[in-house]
Amino acid sequence: MTVVIVDYGMGNIRSIKSTLNYLGVQDVIVSFDPKVLKNGDKLILPGVGSFGKAIARIRERGLDVCLNELVVNGSKPILGICLGMQLMGISSNEDGINNGLGLVKGLVTKFDNTHLKIPHVGFNQVMINNKLKLYNGFEEEADFYFTHSYKMTSSYDISQCHCKYGDDFVASFENNNIAGVQYHPELSQNNGLHVFRNFLEKF
Amino acid sequence: MSTMKIFWCKNCLNMSTRPRIAFDKRGWCNACQWMEEKKTVDWELRKKELNTLLDKYRSKNGNFDCITTVSGGKDGSYVSYVLKHKYGMNPLAITVRPALALEIGDKNLLNFIYSGYNHIHLTPNPLVLDRLNKYGFIEKGFPYYGWLIAIMTAVIKTAGNFKIPLIFYGEDGEVEYGGSTESKNNALYDINYMKRVYLEGGHEKVLERIRQDKDITEADLAFFKFPDDHEISEIGLSFTHMSYFEPWDSYRNYIVAKENCGLTEKEEGNTDTFTNFAQNDQALYALHAYLMYLKFGFGRATQDAGIEIRRGSMTRDQALNLVKMYDNAYPHDLIETYLDYYQMTKEEFDSVLDKYVNRSLFEKIDGIWQPKFVPGEEFEI
Amino acid sequence: MLRKRIIFTLIYSDGFFMQSRNFRLQKVGNLTWLERNYRFQKIAFSLDELIVLNASKNVKSMLQFAETVSELVNDVFIPIAAGGGIRSEEDAEMLFNHGADKIVLNSALFEKPELVESLIKIYGSQSIVASIDYKKSEGVNEVYINDGITKIDIPLEEYLKYVESLNVGEIYLNSIDKDGTGFGFDLEVISEMVTKIKMPLIIAGGAGNEMHLSEGLKINGVSAVATANLFNFIGNGLPKARKKIIDSGINVANWT
Repeated sequence: MTVVIVDYGMGNIRSIKSTLNYLGVQDVIVSFDPKVLKNGDKLILPGVGSFGKAIARIRERGLDVCLNELVVNGSKPILGICLGMQLMGISSNEDGINNGLGLVKGLVTKFDNTHLKIPHVGFNQVMINNKLKLYNGFEEEADFYFTHSYKMTSSYDISQCHCKYGDDFVASFENNNIAGVQYHPELSQNNGLHVFRNFLEKF
Repeated sequence: MSTMKIFWCKNCLNMSTRPRIAFDKRGWCNACQWMEEKKTVDWELRKKELNTLLDKYRSKNGNFDCITTVSGGKDGSYVSYVLKHKYGMNPLAITVRPALALEIGDKNLLNFIYSGYNHIHLTPNPLVLDRLNKYGFIEKGFPYYGWLIAIMTAVIKTAGNFKIPLIFYGEDGEVEYGGSTESKNNALYDINYMKRVYLEGGHEKVLERIRQDKDITEADLAFFKFPDDHEISEIGLSFTHMSYFEPWDSYRNYIVAKENCGLTEKEEGNTDTFTNFAQNDQALYALHAYLMYLKFGFGRATQDAGIEIRRGSMTRDQALNLVKMYDNAYPHDLIETYLDYYQMTKEEFDSVLDKYVNRSLFEKIDGIWQPKFVPGEEFEI
Repeated sequence: MLRKRIIFTLIYSDGFFMQSRNFRLQKVGNLTWLERNYRFQKIAFSLDELIVLNASKNVKSMLQFAETVSELVNDVFIPIAAGGGIRSEEDAEMLFNHGADKIVLNSALFEKPELVESLIKIYGSQSIVASIDYKKSEGVNEVYINDGITKIDIPLEEYLKYVESLNVGEIYLNSIDKDGTGFGFDLEVISEMVTKIKMPLIIAGGAGNEMHLSEGLKINGVSAVATANLFNFIGNGLPKARKKIIDSGINVANWT
C-alpha cells in the first residue's frame, strides 16, 4: 500500500511518517505532486501551522483542485489531521476569514478564552461512536492528544464524534472516503495507532 | 555453620554489612532514624550551645580562634563560611595535601581560598605519606590511610603550634550516614574516639610497619603522630562536628559553597556514582569507594542515594535503579595510576583486593569480583 | 475532561544528555545511553510529552542538535518540543523538519519578539512553548535569559503577562533555584503565578520523585508538570511514578 502525505511545506510530518512505517506501511511518500497523489492508495492531509498560511500554500501548489478531483469526484480515501482536518472545512476565522477546501460542512472558529486556557493542549476524552469505520473496535470513549486554538463545529450530521472543552467541538468526522481528526493520532499512543490502522484497513 | 542474614535498610539502602550500623524494629538504619530524629531535636538549644562554645573561644586579640579542615569541597567550605560570616569567628582553614590530587580539587581549593580565607596548605613529607598510604592499603584495605591519619595528626599539631584550641569538622559520618551513634548527643569528642572510629584502630599497626623500614626516622613521622595526653591537656584541644549544632544537609552545603566559595563541579560525571559535586579532590577516593564495595557490598552510589532518600529528593525504588547501575564500578580508568602510585604490579594490586573482598558476597569472574547478590534482595550467607 | 500532563525534559549539550543542577550541567550519557536507560521508543506508557533543550555552551550547532532530535523521535509516538538557541525562522524550520512537534523559545521572547510573531504566523500559537527561567533574590522573582546567565529587568509577573501578550501556546516556567535539586517544585510562586495567566502552564524545576510531581499536578490551573532529573527517574522510574499518580486519582491520561 502507498500512502501519500500531502506536503504543503509546513510543520512536522515526520512523526506521521514514522507512525505509518511502524504500522507496516512500506511506501510512505511525502509529496505535493498531483501525479504522485493520484497514484497513492490513501492520502493524509497533515497540519501544523496557521490556517491562512496553509490554505494559501495549498492553492499556490494547486493542491485544492487536485484534492477535489481525487476525493470528491474520485473516491480516494483521505484523512485530515488537526489543521489538516480544519482545512477540509468551509471556512476559518484564523488570520481573517479564509475559505477552506469545502470537503466537509464545518466551520472553524477560535475557542472562547474567557474561561478556558487556550490552546487546548493535552489528552482529552473523545465520545466515540464505534459504528464508525475510524473507531472500529473502540469502547465508548478514548483519550487522544490535542493541541489547537481553533475548533470545528457543525450543525449538520457529518458523522462527528465530539470532545468537550468548554463546549463540544468536532474531534473527528467521516463521510465515506473522507475523514478528519482534530487530535493527533500520531501522538496519541495506542489509541492513535488504532485509528490509523482503521483508516488503513477500513477506508 | 551458622548463617547470617544480609539485608538493606527499609528506608534507604544502607546494608547490614556496614560497620557499626544499627537497625530498629522497622528495619530502619541509624542514619534514617537520625533523619527522623533531626525533626524533633531542639536545634535552637544546640545553636545556643554553639554560641556558648564559640563565645568561650572567640578571639579577643585578633588571633585565630578555630580551625576548619578544608579540601575546597562543599562541606569544609560551608563550615568555614558560616563560622566566618554567620558567627563572626576568625577561622584558620587547613588543607592536608592528598596524594594524587585532582585538578578540579586544586581549582576548587584555590577558589575557596581566594573567596577570602586565611589558609595553610600542609604537606606532610610526600614520600612518607605515600609509604603510609601503601601500607594502609595493604594492611587495612584503606588506600589513603596515611592521609586519613594526617588530617587528624597534622591538623592537631598545627592547632598546638598556633595555640588554636577549637577544631571544627563537618559532619559526623557515623551519625549522618550510618555507623556508631555514641556521639550523636555529644558536642565534643576526643582523640580516642578518632583513633577508634575513624582510623578503626589501625593507626599504631601501620606506624609500626613503617618503622621497620630502615630509611624512615621518627622525625619523618612528626606529622603523623598524635600528641600525648599531656600535650593535649596543655593546649586544651576541643574537637567538634558542625553537624551536631545544626541539621546537616550536604546539598545545602553544596549550594552555599558554589554561591559563596567558588565551588565548581566536574562536568564529566563519575563512573561509580551519579553525583558530580562531592569527593573531587583525590584520585584515591575512587579506590577507597571500590574497596568499600568489595568489603561490604555497597559503593559510593549507595551512599549518595541514601543521602538523596533522606533529604526527600528520591524514593527508595528510584535509588535502587541507580545503585544497580553504578555501584559495581571497577576503576578501570585509574588502575594504571594506582599501580604507578603504589609501585605495584597488577598481580600485587589484585592480591590486595583479593585479601579484602568478602567472598560470601562476591565471586571472581574473568578477573574481576562480581556480586552474588542483587541490591535490595535479602539473602543469607 | 482535559487531562493533566507529565513531561520529561532532556537537556542536550554537544552530543550528550545532561543532568542540570541549578543550571550547572553534568554530562550523563549519549543517545545510546539514553535509549538503554529510558525507553521512549515505541509506546511510552509513562509520558505525555518530551521536551528537548539544547544547552550547548559553544556556538550552538542547530543542525547537530536537530539531527539528535530526529534520531530521538524515531518510533516515539508522543509529542516532542525542541528548542534552545532558536534565533531565526530557519532554526525553527530545521527543528520542525527533523521531527519536532513544537518548538521552545526562551531568549527570543525578549530579544526578538518579531521572530516570535512570524513563527506564530507560520506554525500557529499551539506550536510555540515559551520557556521562562526565574530565580528568587531578596524576595523578588527575577527573570533570566541565555541559559540563566542574563538577568532582565522585568519582574516575573510582568514578564509572564508580556509573554502571554505575544500569543504563544504554552508557558514553561522553570525555577533556577530548584532546578535539579529534588527539593520539589516552587509551589508558592507557582500557585501565585498560575492565577495571573490564561494559557496552559507547564511547571519545571525541583521534582525528584512522584510525590513532587503529584504536588505540582494538584495545583489548580497547572496544565503539566515537567522533570529533567535524568538520574532520579532512570530505568522503571517514570512508569512507576505515573502508575502511583494514576492510582492516587489524579487526572492524567491512562493508556492501556
